[in-house]
Amino acid sequence: MEEQGSPTVRRGGPECLSAVSAETIESLTELEDLERIYAQLCAEETDVQNELETLVAQQSTIETKMLALQRMGPNLQLIEGDATQLSGMISFTCSLAENVSSKVRQLDLTKKRLYQAIQRADDILDLKFCTDGVQTALRNQDYEQAAAHIHRYLSLDQSVIELSRQGGESSAVEASLALLQEAELSLKALVTKRLEEAVASSDLPQVERFFKILPLLGLHEKGLALFAQYLCSQLASKAEENLILAVGSDVGERRAPVIFADTLTLLLEGIARIVETHQPIVETYYGPGRLCTLLTHLQKECDTQAQKIVNKFIQQRDYHSKFQVVQSSMMRGVTTEKIEPRELDPVLSEVTLMNSRAELYLRFLRRRITADFEVADAMAAEAVSQEHQQSLERLLKDCQLSRTMQELIGYYIPMEEYYMRETVNKAVAMDAAETGQLTSSMVDDVFYIVKKCISRALTSGSSDCVCAMINHATSVLETDFREVLVCKLRAGYPVSALQDLQRGVSSAVSMMQSSLQHGKIQTLGIESQEQAKSAYLVTLNNVEVCSANIITLKKNLENDCAKLFSQGMGSEHAQAKIDSCLSDLVNTSSKFKDLLQEGLLELNNTAIKPQVKPWISNFLSISHNIEEEEFSEYEANDPWVQQLIVQLERLMAEFKVGLSPVIYDTLSSLMTNLIAMEMEKTVFKCTFSRLGGLQFDKELRSLVAYLSSVTSWTIRDKFARLTQMATILNLERVSEILDYWGPNSGPLTWRLTPAEVRQVLALRVDFRSEDIKRLRL
Amino acid sequence: MSMEDYDYLFKIVLIGNAGVGKTCLVRRFTQGLFPPGQGATIGVDFMIKTVEIKGEKVKLQIWDTAGQERFRSITQSYYRSANALILTYDITCEDSFRCLPEWLREIEQYANNQVVTILVGNKIDLAEKREVLRQRAEEFAEAQSMLYLETSAKESDNVEKLFLDLACELIREAKQNTLDNNDTAPMPGEGKTISYLSCCSSLN
Ligand SMILES: Nc1nc2c(ncn2[C@@H]2O[C@H](COP(=O)(O)OP(=O)(O)OP(=O)(O)O)[C@@H](O)[C@H]2O)c(=O)[nH]1
Ligand SMILES: [Mg+2]
Repeated sequence: MEEQGSPTVRRGGPECLSAVSAETIESLTELEDLERIYAQLCAEETDVQNELETLVAQQSTIETKMLALQRMGPNLQLIEGDATQLSGMISFTCSLAENVSSKVRQLDLTKKRLYQAIQRADDILDLKFCTDGVQTALRNQDYEQAAAHIHRYLSLDQSVIELSRQGGESSAVEASLALLQEAELSLKALVTKRLEEAVASSDLPQVERFFKILPLLGLHEKGLALFAQYLCSQLASKAEENLILAVGSDVGERRAPVIFADTLTLLLEGIARIVETHQPIVETYYGPGRLCTLLTHLQKECDTQAQKIVNKFIQQRDYHSKFQVVQSSMMRGVTTEKIEPRELDPVLSEVTLMNSRAELYLRFLRRRITADFEVADAMAAEAVSQEHQQSLERLLKDCQLSRTMQELIGYYIPMEEYYMRETVNKAVAMDAAETGQLTSSMVDDVFYIVKKCISRALTSGSSDCVCAMINHATSVLETDFREVLVCKLRAGYPVSALQDLQRGVSSAVSMMQSSLQHGKIQTLGIESQEQAKSAYLVTLNNVEVCSANIITLKKNLENDCAKLFSQGMGSEHAQAKIDSCLSDLVNTSSKFKDLLQEGLLELNNTAIKPQVKPWISNFLSISHNIEEEEFSEYEANDPWVQQLIVQLERLMAEFKVGLSPVIYDTLSSLMTNLIAMEMEKTVFKCTFSRLGGLQFDKELRSLVAYLSSVTSWTIRDKFARLTQMATILNLERVSEILDYWGPNSGPLTWRLTPAEVRQVLALRVDFRSEDIKRLRL
Repeated sequence: MSMEDYDYLFKIVLIGNAGVGKTCLVRRFTQGLFPPGQGATIGVDFMIKTVEIKGEKVKLQIWDTAGQERFRSITQSYYRSANALILTYDITCEDSFRCLPEWLREIEQYANNQVVTILVGNKIDLAEKREVLRQRAEEFAEAQSMLYLETSAKESDNVEKLFLDLACELIREAKQNTLDNNDTAPMPGEGKTISYLSCCSSLN
């Protein structure tokens, strides 16, 4: 480790590790430089020394590791040998396993074949057993046993039988088969014949006995048809008996008015009972899914019997001839022959009852058949269950019972409509208003009738029938009945001669005019005038009640329908139809509201306006260009407003007692509008002094206070313009307006335009027009 | 009404003999399909379709009535409130055409007098079986001042057009009505109310 040597060694190295090259050192001449370089080289040397020491210290560790590696060598060779051996073993095991499993498979196959062979032997034995058994059973007339043998034979695999034919025992098997087939045919014929005989003699135990045997022979359809035939004959005889009883029954009996509905009910309940009683054996011996077939057979008899009942009903109740009379009187209006609506009451109730029974029955069929199909079709293909669904729909939709009922309802609707219209007309004709009552009798009567008719339609259980009657009710209310009220309103509110005189207008002329306006010369005496007046007010009340009643009617019907629907009547679709018809009905309510509005406007124009106008123009004859003396005089002796209030009070008193509170309030509001408008026009025609303005302000306050006390409407708003005019007329100086105007208006919203403000200012005799003109508004 | 999501609501009622294809027309329009084995309608069917015409939502309430005679009294009760009637016949069935005057009498008797009526000859896909010439039907329709259109529910020919044209016509009339009404009665309310003072009574 010579300090000098090290740079030399480094110089010869492939790379110069020192920061200082040899040439640099050689070229150095100054001592200072040399010393600096020397110091630098010394530092480098120390670094290198340290590095070397570290490396040398690691030597022993490395050597230990090398030793360990050398010792591991032989072990690795051992492992390799083991791995090769293992792989050999695995592949051996694998081929062994494959070998075994193929043997097991063969074993399986053999076993299956064995079973088949046993089965076939069994079948052949069975075949023999059946052949012998059938013969014996037939000889013993044990049809159940014989059928069981045939059933066994029929359930044998056909291919097995074919194979047996080709087997060693072919001739023996062939003989058995021939015997069996022969036995099958004869048993089928025999059992069918016995069932037919049992049906013909109505021997229930025998019917049931053979009915149970037929499906064993594969004769499901035949069995069901014959069983149905038996049930039908039972149904028919019972139904005929019931019908005879019905026709012969005493008219005084309690159920006499609905005797045909009752008879129909008995028929339909009979079928329902059959389903309850016999469905279990059908399901047990024929399997599920057969109910539809059975009921399709039964429905034919049901149709026939129902038709008979309906025919008798039509005949005994004169159903068709009643319909014809109704139809012709509705077509031509007045005819010679007319039916008293009351006469229709029982027959209409009976028809709806009949229809509701039929609907109930058809719903029962749907429920039962659907449930039966559900069990049968649980595993079936989509197409099969669809086919089943269709056969159900066909049964329900195309049966004569449905069609007959639809026809009956077809006649019922115009008759119910007639009943409704005629009874409504009667209620109108017999309308009476009791003194002290706001409305007259016809409103309640009409709504009672309408409700009754729709409710009766509802009992039919047919949503189309209900909809039709709601439509007719809408028409009766909106057109016929509304027209009645319109007519009454059109008669107008009479203006009495007395009022004309009070008004102080040249009475004869005005009376003539008002009479001519109303299309007739007024020959009414005071008394009948009073009647006409109260009739008008009653009509207004009636109109209001109508619009409210329609809403109530709709709500009630909605509830009634909801009740029926919750019992299973109709579908969601049917409900939507009814809802739509009901919403048409409720829309007529607003037509009555409109009518009320019109009637009130008319009343305001004829009875209030002509009176109020002159009362207000009286204001003109009271000077408001006054001095102190007149002001005090007015204070002691009110010149105008108190009288106006008394007159208004007297005028409205009659309406207050005659109109319902709501209508009276609306009328008061119309009157208030009128007063505000007229006052404004009048004030613009006056002139005012400062005290006159004060006087007007007092008068206006009294009037507003009075009007506020008689109506629930807010009056201040309607009088806002007048109040502002009073404020202006009360100013000391023209310029004082600026204290209230623009930025100084505060909470006050001006309803007067700047031009109007100037116009009002100009009404003050003491304000100079130049001052007004100069105002910046 | 303002709560609902439409600008107009119209009631359209389809009438005509049984089997002329009323139900098929409605199902084609509302559901876009031609139902195989469509059974006769019982009573009245009811469907709703909302269409947009020139940016306005028009709700069509379509009442499909049964053509069979025994349902007549049910279907008649729908005429009065109908805005439009689609009177349908089958171009391959002379009989259904010959019954048209009878249907017109029904309309005359039961419908309101502002009703829009359109005559429709259906089943034009069965051209080879045609029994009623187009011209004959057109002349008939014109004489009765009805619109006329030929359709095929099966091939979807003119079905969309039928209902949309009708909707356009109804909108046009509705607009006309509100204009007319605004002249006489300034009061808001139902389009068709006329002040009782200005209309003449039928009951005098
Ligand atoms: N080829 C053809 N057949 C049609 C067309 N429209 C309807 N049909 C067929 O005509 C038959 C009757 O159609 P529906 O739509 O049920 O007739 P409908 O007028 O509703 O009959 P009702 O309900 O009884 O009044 C059905 O078999 C339809 O398939 C059509 O455009 N072309
Ligand atoms: Mg139809």
